[in-house]
Amino acid sequence: MKIIKFVLLFSGLIAFTSQAVTVIVHPSNADALDKKVVKKIFLGKSTKFPGGSQAIPIELKDGASRASFLKAVVGKPEAKYKAYWSKRVFTGKGQAPRSVDSEAEIIDLISKNPNLIGYVSDDAVTDSVKAAGKF
Amino acid sequence: MKKPYLKLLALSVLVTPYAVAEIQFNGFGSVRATYSESDNGSAPFSYLDEGDITFKGESLFALQARADLGEGLSATVQMFAEGRDDFDIEARWAYVSYQLDDTHQINAGKLANPIFHQSEYEKVGYAHNFSRLPVAVYSGFDFATMEGISLNSQFELADGDYTLDTKLSYGNWEGTVFLAAAGGDVPLGLDNIFSFNATLSGDWWKVFAGAFITEMNATGLDQGVIFPFAQPGIDLATSLGATSSDINELTSSLAWHEKDGLYWFSGFGFDYNNFIVDFEYANYAVDDAADAPNEAWYIAFGYRFGDYVVTIHTEEQTQDIEYDFLDNVQHPVLQATGRGIVDALGAVEFEGSGISLRYDFHPSAAFKLDYFSGENTRADIGDYTIVSAGIDVVF
Repeated sequence: MKIIKFVLLFSGLIAFTSQAVTVIVHPSNADALDKKVVKKIFLGKSTKFPGGSQAIPIELKDGASRASFLKAVVGKPEAKYKAYWSKRVFTGKGQAPRSVDSEAEIIDLISKNPNLIGYVSDDAVTDSVKAAGKF
Repeated sequence: MKKPYLKLLALSVLVTPYAVAEIQFNGFGSVRATYSESDNGSAPFSYLDEGDITFKGESLFALQARADLGEGLSATVQMFAEGRDDFDIEARWAYVSYQLDDTHQINAGKLANPIFHQSEYEKVGYAHNFSRLPVAVYSGFDFATMEGISLNSQFELADGDYTLDTKLSYGNWEGTVFLAAAGGDVPLGLDNIFSFNATLSGDWWKVFAGAFITEMNATGLDQGVIFPFAQPGIDLATSLGATSSDINELTSSLAWHEKDGLYWFSGFGFDYNNFIVDFEYANYAVDDAADAPNEAWYIAFGYRFGDYVVTIHTEEQTQDIEYDFLDNVQHPVLQATGRGIVDALGAVEFEGSGISLRYDFHPSAAFKLDYFSGENTRADIGDYTIVSAGIDVVF
């Protein structure tokens, strides 16, 4: 019994640490978004979608989805990502993405604004937004 | 000097009554306890207390407000208070920015003077892994700001695989600088600062270089420091028959006023598979004046273990004494006087090595522990040791 519990716990741990996230945009957004494009937007290196419209990133304040996104898409752990943005913010080169408390808030904001791009866990995606890629 | 900038920023918001400015606040801070000791009794850095722990020397806070006025226009002010200045609040930055397009941003007002690679964010402890950036290079120049204009550009190369960041600045600065040879602060101005910096980076590496040239406005320094140092030699030379022309030759050779100051740097860094390496070399001097060219460098090796980063580094600052600028001084006493002054100004050198531990215990805060020791050629310092522990936050 202990072995089964251990296996379940361990597999749960693996699932937690490797949780996939889905990048979401407004349903009207027809751009093809790969990891490179999304990364550039979240690092402030691009302010536009490939189609030319303004791209405004929005992110979670904390949690497993944020950690997974930073690892899988941005390629920086939390502290390194925050240090990167500190350098940009305090040299006037940009503003870090606006962060919100919940995935529901991200979905709500993106469903109302075609310029926003964000991410949520796979199972949080609803019909009010468009899944642009799973990472 | 502080109020005009605040007025400028307030005006920039008020003149656009239909723009509802969205104001974003960010900030950073460091609280650090630092103990230092030296063989000969003086603090290794002027803001430390030798033989004691100080919480003031390396603690600081800053709050930055950025008003987004829409259509690419914004106004930014950064209020800054540092323990070493008794936490007196100053407007460190106060400028208006306009985003010309995706690549170019123009700024005007009171700006950072990007003297070296990390100068613009050298006070943001959270942004690096040291307790303090290597002092050999980042010695806390008072002219870290300028009043002027700058152009920030960001070019994406090779389909976005590489980024080229450049900054072109022009401005002026006026204030005081600490001069060890003078035993305190002396007035100085930097006129017509022209600065250019460039950083080429990929995912895990960067190379960078930059330079600025300026015309020294240094009558106060000349009259208050350089010439008084020379006066005993001038008196002796006069008694031995030196002419006023000989004396003028010496004073014009020694003087900093209206001479060119040149500062430049280059280096590289990479952060790959948790291995971190940083190197920077800097060189600066006032040309054809009583100043010994300064060379400074540091190299750091770090490794990231999850939330921990361990960094070892070594740094050195040396001065290369040259007498070429005295070639036109013919009188032997005046020549010896000039050499004596540049010897005194160029006598301060130091080196050191240290180990730092960074622990990211919170999403917005890092705890840092640091041990640093080395040698300073100043007779009142000698061998020294610094130990510090503190927290850097960003929000």
